[in-house]
Amino acid sequence: MKSLLNAVRTGLTEIWAHKTRSALSFLAIAAGSVVFIDAFSAIFATYERIEKQKEVSGMARVKISQNYSQTYSSPDDYVPPPVLKYDDVLSLREKLPGFYMVSPEGRDWRNVLEYGEHRLTTSVMGVTPEWTKRDFIYTLKGRFLDWHDVENKLRVCVLVKKAAPPPGNLFNKSMLKKYNFTGGFDMLVAHYDLLGKTVNIDGFTFTVIGILEELPYSKRPGTITGSSQEYKVLAPVTTLIHYNFIGQQSLDLNIDTGSEQNFDESIRKINNFLKIRFGDGDFFIVENQLEVIRERIAASIKSALVTISLGMLAFLAGGIGIMNVTLATVFARTREIGIRRAIGASRRDIMLQFIVEAVMLGLIGGVLGSALGYLWGVPVKVMLGMGGSPIKPWMPLVSVLIAALTAFAFAIYPAWVAAGLKPADALRAE
Amino acid sequence: MSISCSELTKIYEGGKSGWPALRGVSFDIKMGEFVAVTGPSGCGKSTLLNIIGLLDEPSGGRYALNGRDIFTLSDLERSDTRRDEIGFIFQSFNLLNRLSALENVSLPLMYAGADSAEMRERATALLRKVGLHGKEKKIPLELSGGERQRVAIARALANSPKLILADEPTGNLDSASSKDIMQMLVDLNAEGITVIMVTHDKELAARAGRNLRMRDGRLEQ
Repeated sequence: MKSLLNAVRTGLTEIWAHKTRSALSFLAIAAGSVVFIDAFSAIFATYERIEKQKEVSGMARVKISQNYSQTYSSPDDYVPPPVLKYDDVLSLREKLPGFYMVSPEGRDWRNVLEYGEHRLTTSVMGVTPEWTKRDFIYTLKGRFLDWHDVENKLRVCVLVKKAAPPPGNLFNKSMLKKYNFTGGFDMLVAHYDLLGKTVNIDGFTFTVIGILEELPYSKRPGTITGSSQEYKVLAPVTTLIHYNFIGQQSLDLNIDTGSEQNFDESIRKINNFLKIRFGDGDFFIVENQLEVIRERIAASIKSALVTISLGMLAFLAGGIGIMNVTLATVFARTREIGIRRAIGASRRDIMLQFIVEAVMLGLIGGVLGSALGYLWGVPVKVMLGMGGSPIKPWMPLVSVLIAALTAFAFAIYPAWVAAGLKPADALRAE
Repeated sequence: MSISCSELTKIYEGGKSGWPALRGVSFDIKMGEFVAVTGPSGCGKSTLLNIIGLLDEPSGGRYALNGRDIFTLSDLERSDTRRDEIGFIFQSFNLLNRLSALENVSLPLMYAGADSAEMRERATALLRKVGLHGKEKKIPLELSGGERQRVAIARALANSPKLILADEPTGNLDSASSKDIMQMLVDLNAEGITVIMVTHDKELAARAGRNLRMRDGRLEQ
């Protein structure tokens, strides 16, 4: 303990005596720390996002949609393919009762919405209350559609209010300008409180019973299913069928089977149901989204590993820097080593001295790097519009620890060289 | 501190068969002796002193320090022996230039595990003994050659050694300083410390109790 303290004191003296050399070593290891913290926070962010996405989107997801690429051997064989109607949805619900969510979607395009003197085009989506069970990244004002609305085909609707684009995101700003995403419908919803008001869609009056406000970008996990649907106006699917918005077009069906364990079984049941109801023929695509989700997660983990290995490489570079500096120190101080040995320092004393000195270089560099890493990860990245890294308090601590460990590991060889010098030879060195 | 050497050889590596610095040296030194080792440059004086001081190992022969065969000592035991029983004084002082006089003298105490109050007290007393009272804070570059050698002597005395090994201790000093340093060695010897001094200077050698003359790696009798 005493010899450790002495080594620390000697180390500090040496670090202070060679300011340039020490500063360069600090920088080498600090650079490692910065990259490491950045990598670590990126990985952590990915992990957290995946977990949140799992929570929001569910895992055991299936999407049924019409198969548009039917093949026929000759034009004479063509018969209009069957469509998935609301009755079919109800039937599936009844036959396969265990599913967590069975949410039909029927979209109409290029609808004209009128409110006061405003007249703009939008897109209406027919849904049921099930729609809110998954990928719900909104806060609701008013109320959502309920089964009463659906069963009675009421002309009520919920409007989606887009979140502001992330602050400082230059790319998004220019994109928004170019494509005028914020124009028309989004502007209307943003600037007028339409809750409880009546709007006119394609000549039919609808009462706005709810406003769905998108969560801000920073709080939104994104959907793991990769769904990029744009929702603007949501109305009961039955209403849209009744008033011939979507008429006899085939509905899409989003299903959460509720359980990963029985997922294959569920898929089989769904296929069976479709076969019994519509006969043989690939009329519908049953998309196994669990597989997609798993692939996405695997890809995320893979990229995370690449990132962390970059961080480790940065530390390796820093470590080699420390080794180089320590070796140079050993050669520059060979005579001193001889003197210390002559007056009674043991090999252990010499080894301890160089290792402690290197570890202190690593520690100070690690602290410096953690501070720089935080500066880079939070204010600088935010200023550059990259979005701040979610740096947890333990990340700099881990980083400092790894910096010290790296320094320790890379100092062993030079310290061993120093300790192995013969006192008489070392004393002869100039 | 008794020293007993017989047929010591030392061959430095290099060339085909190496370069022999010692070619069979035998002598005994009894406790409390003052021995001067003289001889021309390259005759093996310093090599002999390094071997006696456990800074180097002989290639052959026998060397017993206080009756212990040095070949049986581990590296740690050698280090501890150097620290506790031997004091070195070099021609070029070999002080650590970044440390103050006080810190230089404290080093052997530090390696002996003394605490800092103890170290400061003992080092201050030693510097006073060699006449450097008031210069404790000076670094070697702020001291004259004679003063530096006094610091080195104080350092050599830190752990109360029984043997002082001085390698041309006055080689870098003016004649006045040389006299002072020589007197100190004589006084230390009078206190019972065995002193072995390598020197070129015949006058200094004459003040030693006994002379060992070397030539070409052998003792002249």
